[in-house]
Amino acid sequence: MGKRILITGIGAVTPVGENAASFWDANLAGRSGMRPELRMDLTGLPCGWISSVIPDEIKETIKRRWSGSNKSWGDTLMRASVMEAIEDAKLELKTDKPVGLAWARVWPGPSGSFPDDYVEFIRRTGERHSKVGSQPGDIVDYLRSIANQEPPDTADTSSFPREVSLVLERPLLTTRVDATCAGGLRAIAEAARLIELGKVDVAIVSGVVSRSNHYTHSQYAQLMALTRWKGDPKFASTPFDRRRTGMVISESAGAIVLETEEHAFRRGRGNAYAELGGWGLAVDTVHLTAPSQDMVERVIQEALARSHLKPIDIDTVNAHGTSTKLNDLVEGRALNKVFGDKMKEMYVSAVKSITGHGSAASGVIEVIVSALTVSHGMIPPVVTCTDPDPECGVLTSLTPVKQQVDAVIKNSFGFGGQYASMVLRKPSNMGRNPRFDVHLA
Amino acid sequence: MEDIAITGIGLISPAGIGPSAVLDAMCEGRTFFESKHGDRTAHKKFPWPEASLKTPDMPWPVGPGWVDLKKYANTTAHQAVAVAQLAMEHAELKPGQFDARLSGAIVASGIRTDDLMPILGRIGEMAANDKRPLARLLYEEVPDFSYLKDIPSQVGQFVCLATGFRGSNLAMYGEAGVGGIGSLALAMRLINSGELERVMVVGVAAPLPVAHLVAMDEKDALGSEASADKGPFAADRAGTLPGHAAVAIVIEAATAAARRGAPMIARLSACETVNASNVHTALASAFTLVTGAADCRPDAWWAHGAGSRALDLAECNALGEALQVPVTGSKGTIGNPFEVSGLIDVALAAEGLRRGQLPPVGLLNKIDRELDHLDIVVGHQRQLDNARQVVISTIDHRVEAAGITLIDRHGGWTHG
Repeated sequence: MGKRILITGIGAVTPVGENAASFWDANLAGRSGMRPELRMDLTGLPCGWISSVIPDEIKETIKRRWSGSNKSWGDTLMRASVMEAIEDAKLELKTDKPVGLAWARVWPGPSGSFPDDYVEFIRRTGERHSKVGSQPGDIVDYLRSIANQEPPDTADTSSFPREVSLVLERPLLTTRVDATCAGGLRAIAEAARLIELGKVDVAIVSGVVSRSNHYTHSQYAQLMALTRWKGDPKFASTPFDRRRTGMVISESAGAIVLETEEHAFRRGRGNAYAELGGWGLAVDTVHLTAPSQDMVERVIQEALARSHLKPIDIDTVNAHGTSTKLNDLVEGRALNKVFGDKMKEMYVSAVKSITGHGSAASGVIEVIVSALTVSHGMIPPVVTCTDPDPECGVLTSLTPVKQQVDAVIKNSFGFGGQYASMVLRKPSNMGRNPRFDVHLA
Repeated sequence: MEDIAITGIGLISPAGIGPSAVLDAMCEGRTFFESKHGDRTAHKKFPWPEASLKTPDMPWPVGPGWVDLKKYANTTAHQAVAVAQLAMEHAELKPGQFDARLSGAIVASGIRTDDLMPILGRIGEMAANDKRPLARLLYEEVPDFSYLKDIPSQVGQFVCLATGFRGSNLAMYGEAGVGGIGSLALAMRLINSGELERVMVVGVAAPLPVAHLVAMDEKDALGSEASADKGPFAADRAGTLPGHAAVAIVIEAATAAARRGAPMIARLSACETVNASNVHTALASAFTLVTGAADCRPDAWWAHGAGSRALDLAECNALGEALQVPVTGSKGTIGNPFEVSGLIDVALAAEGLRRGQLPPVGLLNKIDRELDHLDIVVGHQRQLDNARQVVISTIDHRVEAAGITLIDRHGGWTHG
């Protein structure tokens, strides 16, 4: 990495908070967003009856402030988190270059983001099928004869970049990625690449997911990927715990502002949350959904090498930690292979323990937690890991750990053989953003 | 920054296999539009003529791992693997001849196909009377792995299996896709940053879901006739005509390509995509970035030429004054393969440079008077034996995004 790239603004809307501050609060307190999924009847599914979605009161607040006509809920969430990040950074462009925009929006499926949308979608689709079947010409006539009111999400393209371009009064170099659950880290890497190559001095990264509907739950249930937990829902997502049974589908949005240190100085910004280190990216073709230990090791080693760091230089790991049997085992074994005996004393955090799994959006919100871990020297607890699985070999804490943190490794892996790992470190020449200092008391 | 070479192209279009098939069709004035969509046995005419693939037999690969994977692959995946194999062959890339960790794939494809809709229609009918809760009905009736099939980067994993590339797999689409040029620009950045030394960009434009076409038509009318003078830049043009295609382009750092004795088809000199407040600004910004990044002295212009009244005008107004060179476009011949339209045009432009030819625009006899100040190639191909550089412009049909690509003829440049 040539230029120093800093995270100077953060924004988040999650099941545990309507902004980054409440999200960080929840991470330190171990406050969970898991609830029984009561919005739809999941009877008969072998797993996945718990969700982690943004509470209604937060949804209403966000909608009031950020929604607009024909704007999808996914776009609204992105807008909310991006605007918070821009405001947090007090972003003032002191460059003639375009601005970078990299984002990952997880498609909710063939309907909108909510169970009611899906019920209506299936009803309309069934009605259409019963009247005209599947003949394309007949479908066109039918759709033209009715008010075609598909939710905005179904088009899967939006005016989001245009809006950001208008806010910043600048054309954007954009990258919308899909790398499944590694997509958030991948979006950050591609934004940083735009900066490294000198094409932009500032880039915004956003990740959003809102897909808790019948279709998504049924499909993940087919894969047996979801939690089968029957106890207190707050403990449904138990990364690295012996009792883990699967992941919880989450809903969230996160955004960060990246800029060069030079641009930050130029505009009088003297603090940042963290500096991006190097990253490791890889693909394998061994299996569609199951991770491989050697690939996890490879991307962690590459991230270290590109950061000119050794394992001993890392103070904590922000794990992918999905709460599935296989992922956590593979990740734990890979971490032990890379870090060796250091694993006995190095605390690992796992944000999905309180938020659930938000696919690509998790990558962004977990980088936010990693950045705050670095800037505030606080490693969040994993309150659901009360019976650690010795096979994983990962040290977690039930309370926040206060310690000097100079460098964090952040991992994300995904379906389709996706692997990503990234280093975040304490900025060399910048002060700490005081926004969250209250938590240091 | 390192020179970047185009070393392999795989293309399947309504005209057949390879860029030559398309250029031949353009030169001979042939087009491929039919009023059918997807199901070619449909009893009713489809309102928007489409240029569809008459795909040759593209068998799923055989060998270790492939048999088990077939059940996870949809039509898009089949076509992506087919063009990836064509491109590998064209690039003379064989396993063991390259560093797999320094090779990656990017998929440019829409997330949507119509594969699932008939199934969901049937389930929707069932749901009206079935006692099972909807989630359980879907769990039991939707074919296994449907969810995985619809993930764009899943297609990328298949491409990586076909190519042996293990450095990176990413899909880039939607508002940033810009007809696949967003993916090509990203591929350049991956090489220029030193992360990879080669990238295969693969794109598939499958038939869009009917509901999408209806929505697009409401926003900017699609063409309802594929007859003479209804094509791009024509006085009577009345909307873009959809097309389907699949393409794979291999680009490599020139030093890596030279090291393995790769065929050098052309140089990819610059490529940028921009989202802005409107298409005109996006085009102008992308053009400014490209001319700032490379020595821009094109001899020809492959325009997006959507055939839309508004977009053709916007494109020509944004670039016409700066590009006073002969202009052509492919969409009057093979239609508009939205997700991969820019990638297709890059492939065609490279072939055109090799031949020293610029083919005429299909479905065009009489140019719109508002555009006739441009040197649009009509009727017969233009010989440009000494052409060294071509500019390709691409517009996203749905959002305010545009891309500009610059390629140089092989032999018109040297690499270190």
